Amino acid sequence: MKRKNNKFNKRPQNPLNKLSLFQKSDSRFSKKCPLSGKEAPVIDYKNIKLLKRYISDTDKIMPSRITSVSQNKQRKLTSEIKKAKILGLI
Amino acid sequence: MNFYEHTLIAKQDLSTPELNNIEKKYEDIITKTEGKIIKVEKWGLLNFAKKIRSYNKGFYIHYKFEGENKTLEEIKRNSIIDNSLLRHLTVKYKKLDTETEYFKESNEKKK
Repeated sequence: MKRKNNKFNKRPQNPLNKLSLFQKSDSRFSKKCPLSGKEAPVIDYKNIKLLKRYISDTDKIMPSRITSVSQNKQRKLTSEIKKAKILGLI
Repeated sequence: MNFYEHTLIAKQDLSTPELNNIEKKYEDIITKTEGKIIKVEKWGLLNFAKKIRSYNKGFYIHYKFEGENKTLEEIKRNSIIDNSLLRHLTVKYKKLDTETEYFKESNEKKK
């Protein structure tokens, strides 16, 4: 009986949540949007430190499926990044 | 009346009296066309991310003002003609926050 209990505890996830082996785990997609909610940073074209986080090495805008930014905030981000690019800040 | 922000980029090789003239010129344009200046910020010499017309650096001047369509047209017309400016940008706001200054630290270090 002890052996069985040990095996059960070692598993990181609750096996009841999975129906099959090929189903993807939910934990990867449960990330919340970092720019919405209370005490979120202000999205502005002068706030370069924040905007640089959402830009790749070759100055492309990162897709929201990687950064998990919500759709409404992603639209704001793109417009502010483009404004900063006009002024040569980024 | 609406709130606006306007930023200018002047060329790198200008002298300080010339820069002060540019600053005064656009302040006069705003006040002449029934606008109100709320704040003027000088960001100083900043590096560009990319070359703009074969320049690597530029002087930034930032205005926060209240005005109507008249003032916007005058500012745009003047800044396109002006030879000492590289680029300009105007943004409309519902509320202006005058407290946070993003480029203040970099200016103090140089002084």
